[in-house]
Formats: sequence, C-alpha cells, structure tokens
Amino acid sequence: MLENLPHKFREYGLDADVRTLLVLRKAMQKGLVKTLGDLYNVLKGIVVKEPSMLGPYTRAYYQYFLNIDIQNGDRLDDAIERSETFQNWLEDVFEKDPKLRELDMEELVNMFLDQVHLTTYDIKEVISGKDIFDKDDPSLSDDDASSDLGPSKNVLDEMADYSDLSLEELLERMEEVLKNQKGKHTGGSHWIGTGGISPYGHGGAAKNGIRVGGTGGGKMARRVIGDRNYYPVDLDSLLNDNNVDAALASLNGIIEDSAHDKLDVENTIKKGLKRGGLFIPELQNIKEEKLQVMLLIDNGGYSMSGYIRIVQELFRKMKTRFAHDLKVFYFHNIIYDEIYTDAKRTKSMSIKRFLKHDPNYKVFIIGDAAMSPYELNKWSIETLQAMDKKFKNLVWLNPEPYRYWASTYSTQVIRKLVDMYQLTPRGIEKAVKDMNRKVI
Amino acid sequence: MAETSFWTGSPKYLCNKDLAQAFHMSRTLGMPLLIEGEPGTGKTELPIQYAEALGLELFVYPVGSKSNVEQFVGRFDHVKYLRDSQIEILNAQRSEKGLETKLSTGGRDTEKLETYVMKGPAARAFSTPNSVLLIDEIDKAPREFPNDLLYALSHRKFIMPESGEVVSVSEENMPAIVITSNREQELPTAFKGRCIYHYIHFPEADTMREIISKHHPKVEDEVVDVALDIFYHLRNIGLERAPTTREMLNWLKYVKTFSSKEAIDKIQKLEGIGVLIKTQTDLEKVQKKILSNPKDFKKRSTNN
Repeated sequence: MLENLPHKFREYGLDADVRTLLVLRKAMQKGLVKTLGDLYNVLKGIVVKEPSMLGPYTRAYYQYFLNIDIQNGDRLDDAIERSETFQNWLEDVFEKDPKLRELDMEELVNMFLDQVHLTTYDIKEVISGKDIFDKDDPSLSDDDASSDLGPSKNVLDEMADYSDLSLEELLERMEEVLKNQKGKHTGGSHWIGTGGISPYGHGGAAKNGIRVGGTGGGKMARRVIGDRNYYPVDLDSLLNDNNVDAALASLNGIIEDSAHDKLDVENTIKKGLKRGGLFIPELQNIKEEKLQVMLLIDNGGYSMSGYIRIVQELFRKMKTRFAHDLKVFYFHNIIYDEIYTDAKRTKSMSIKRFLKHDPNYKVFIIGDAAMSPYELNKWSIETLQAMDKKFKNLVWLNPEPYRYWASTYSTQVIRKLVDMYQLTPRGIEKAVKDMNRKVI
Repeated sequence: MAETSFWTGSPKYLCNKDLAQAFHMSRTLGMPLLIEGEPGTGKTELPIQYAEALGLELFVYPVGSKSNVEQFVGRFDHVKYLRDSQIEILNAQRSEKGLETKLSTGGRDTEKLETYVMKGPAARAFSTPNSVLLIDEIDKAPREFPNDLLYALSHRKFIMPESGEVVSVSEENMPAIVITSNREQELPTAFKGRCIYHYIHFPEADTMREIISKHHPKVEDEVVDVALDIFYHLRNIGLERAPTTREMLNWLKYVKTFSSKEAIDKIQKLEGIGVLIKTQTDLEKVQKKILSNPKDFKKRSTNN
C-alpha cells in the first residue's frame, strides 16, 4: 500500500522516503486525512520543503493519485480536461445530474478542482457557519439521511460517514483505487466518484448547488503548475538570473561562523582583585564570523563577457547581505606576474604583493581557462602554483560546459594545478563544500 | 491532552486556510511547524496570536547570530555557583571570628545543582504542558544551531547541563512549536525533514483587503482601492525589494490621518513612499516608471 510512493515522487525530484510514509501513516491514524484534499495538504507539509518544490509536488500528486499527467508547460486545466480521470468523472456527474451538461468546460473543471481539493476543514466551516449539524453526534447522520431536511444537510451527512472510516478501511479503499487506476477501463475516476474517498460521494454538492468553504487548494494548484517561481531552479545550468539566488545560498557556506562563551581571564582577575579575592569567572560571548573572499575575474576575451555581470551580481548580493571583506581583481586569460585591480585593467598589482594577502582568503578564479597553449608558460604556471600553495582555499570556476573541458588543452593543464568546478549553482556548492572540508 | 483543535485565526489575525491546516497538522502530529515566506507575511504573528486567543503560555526564542543551544535549552550559571560557594567559605570564616552578619546566597543551595540551571525557553516550554514555543528567524542562527536541535525535536527531551536533570514531554503535552525563517540561508535537510513545512504565499488583493480591514477598519474602501492598486503595481515592476504587507499597513497608517479625498490624492502622488520603497535604485525606478505617467493611475482608479 503506497509503498511505491517515495519512488514515484523521487522521479519528480522530491525528497520522499520511508519516513514520508511513516509520517503520512501517523497523520492518517490521527484522522488528518479524510478527503483527497486533506491528502494533498498533508503530503505537501511532509514532502515539500521549499517553495520551488511546490510545482513538482503538485504534478507528482496529480499523476500518482489521480492519474492526471501534466506535461511540461501544460496548464493544469488542460491536463485535467485531457485526462481519462476527468472524462470518467464527467460521465459520473452527468448521469446523476443531466443539467450539468449545460455548464461549459471551465466551470466543470472548477467543479472538479473544488472536489479534489476539498478538505475536512472546508466542511467544518460550513457546519459551524450554517449551524445545521450537531458535530458531536455522528450517528444522527445515518438515521436522518433520508429525512426531509435541507439539501445541504445531505452533503454533511455523507461527510460524517467518511469521517468514521477507520484507518484500515481507508487504506484498503486507497489500495483498491490504486489497483484500479492501473486497469485501462476503470481509469482513476474512483478517487472522486462514488467509490472514492471524496466526501461528496454521490455527487451531492453538484446536485444541491452548494459551495462548500473556500477553494484555496484548487486555486493554489492552478497557480503552482507552470509558474516558474514554483519550480526548482536548474542547479546544473550555468549561472543566470534565475538561479543566482540558489548559488548565493550555497556560497553562504563559506562564511565561518560560530558562537560560544569563553572565560575572560583578564577581566576575571581584574574584577576578582577588586572584590578582594573573590574570583567570579567573567564570560565573554565570542562570535566569530569570518568571510574573506577574493575574486579573480577573467574579463578579457569575448568568451567571458556574458558571465562577468552575473558573477559580479552574485558576489555583490553576497556583500550587501553580509558586508564582509570582498576583493575583486581582474586578469586576461591567465595570470603572469601581475594582476589588475580595476575592470579596465589599467592599475596593476604585482603577484608578489598579491601573495602577501592573508592566506585565509578564499579565492575564486573565474575564467574559461581556454587560451593558446603558449600562454601557459613558466611564469603563468608558477604563479598559479604559488597562489594555490599560499591560499589553502582556492578554486577555479569555469563557465564552459564540463564536456568541453577535456578537449581544451589549457583547461586540462590548469585543472591539474588547481581545483576546477563548473560555474553553476551545483558547481559552486561543491566547491564550497570541498573548501570547508579542507579547513578541517 | 494537547491542544489540537482547528484554529482559523482571531479577530485581529487573519489565518489563511492552508496555514491553519498546516498548523493543525503539526500540532496533531507533535511536529514543529516551519514557516517560510516573504518578510511581513505574518509568520511570527501566528503563534503569538494563537497563544493569545487560546490563553496558552507562550515562550519565545528570538534567534540571532550569536544563538546557541545553551541559551535555548538551559545553561548552568557558573558565576552564581562560584559566588555562592565562596560566600559559604566567607560565612564560615566569619562565624569562626564570632561575627554575626552573614552574606546571603538568596536561598540557593550549593548542594543542589539544579538551582543553578537557568532554563531557556525550550526547557520551560517542554515543562509547561500545552504551551506555545516560537523559534523566530532560525535562518539567522549559526550553521550548527538547527542541527543541534535535531535530537531534542525528535526525542522530545532535553538534558540540563551539570545537574543532569531530564526535561521531557509526552507526545500529548507537546508544546506547539513554530519556527520561522526568512530563507536567508538554507536549513539542513535533516532538520527540515523533522518539521511540517509551510510556505506563506504573498496574499492576493482580496486577502490583503481583509488584512487591511482588520488593522485599519476605518479607512474608506476607495482609499484602500487606490492604495492596493499602487501597491500591487509596485510589486510587479520588479523592484529589488518589493514592498510587503507590513509596509502597506504602515503606509495606510500615515494616509489615514487625512480625509479620504486628501488621502487618495496623497496616495496617487506617492507621498510617504519612503515607507514602501527602501533602496535608492528602487526609488529611481519607481520615479521613472510611475511618477512619469501618473495619469495612468488616475484613470485606473476611477474606473474601479
């Protein structure tokens, strides 16, 4: 039962594992899952751990539980309209209420979404709002189902039925539905139709024309599908405006910070003497946060021009956030015996002087490492070696796609001298991780 | 029994349904609720208003860059302990000399180590059944802080320093724990895995209207219309720092001191825009994009 859920959800890049199932199970035991909408929300709370996972989650959910396949760039409405699940559901509701045939597709899709995302809480809202249902007496619903109370009552009665479902029954039903989904003819409509766990069961809502509670879930699902903001950024694509924040997040890792209390010996003695020998330890709250970064940017050839802006943007953002020590230098293709302190490369600094910087600086060299073989001579190689020796944390970030590295001679040579990573959020993350490891 | 009723907000606080449900879920499961979202979307308000509305005790731990688990759980007050033990020696010496006056240890007993344990908000919340514990802005903490919390969160147990006293809580009495984050740094995956996660989306215009009416019930609809129009427009022109709910409320606080007509006029002229726009580049952008063609706005607002 549901054991393939983590596997399927992982295909969508979501973090799902055994624990997901355990928490979900617990949530069911506690009675948190009574409708399909509840299931959507509960799983969301467990699986989604950042906003960018919302889109993939919604897709995975629709695929897994409703058998609705949302393609890239699809709108949720279109995917629903196309699906067999929806067609079956339509047949179902039309059969019960032929008048619904007059509605246009959009309204029907809305109805469908309302039902999918209906949660227990929506129903409770109606109960308390209309004051027509005694919450404390679920048995009432069974007896009175056929009586002549208002139409809205019926919906709530059915809801009460489903609330009483035991966990075993619920699981059983879910399992059955999942099995049916795999069969060609039944499709996935059971989730919503009469046999599903939808509290509407026999199409009560549509018939009685009641709008139960809000429709937030459907609206959210619609917004999330296809909205770039709700998709994980591509960590393997080159640094660009969309993933610069992801890169920033991984760059934060280079800040060394720690907080601890330390015995302030000097103060303890001073104050102790004043007290006439009563020594009370004075503590000092030490907060260490260190970020020393040097950026060496190849702003020479045309090949680099596209990346300079974004790299500077990245580090500028970092600087405004943390206001630390950030130094930027420039070079063309490779570093010989001097390096430039301005972007126009007019003011230079000798490498000798450059190497006098604090060895704790973290150095990022950003360049494509592609140059004529003759540029890699004794001086440039020695400079690189000297820098790598001096600065324990020195990496080269290369915007060239990884697959081209092997075919560029100069890249091959430089890689042997210094650690090279790709200029992508994931590459930066790796670089930072390796830097931190070296310190320890 | 833990307080696990479904709570949908109070007259002062509009709790979005999704958030209410996530909060309910976290309390029912006894897991902390991790809320992320743009600044000014009411993350911190949730536990505060919840505790107030239900009359529950609230413990707050504002996280800062110097935070550590000791402050959060409890620390041993070495200073007091040393002082008291020295006082005991001093008192013994005095009585030897036949002096009457004694220094007081304030009723603390150096034999009982637990009297020197200063319990932090976490330990106090765990020893108060059905309380509410807010861990505010956990993303400001040093990197190791969330990881240090993992044990306590999954075992519902803290061990006090020196005294060895164990503060634990049953699942039924688990306090409602709310953790907020502004996403300034990524939290460890293992930590997130132990929380129920909720991301507060920026409220849409109709929700915003409700929020405004809760805070400034007297402001007339027309004024709110015009202000909302400009507010969402500002959020859409791609500013470096988009204005938030809190700033919108402050802006209205300013303009509501005028009559409706004056207020609309002031809003359209973007008076007091400094409340909404906080950087120089953004201000320039706004001036270029909005103030250069104010007619556009008048037209739209009269159409409404």
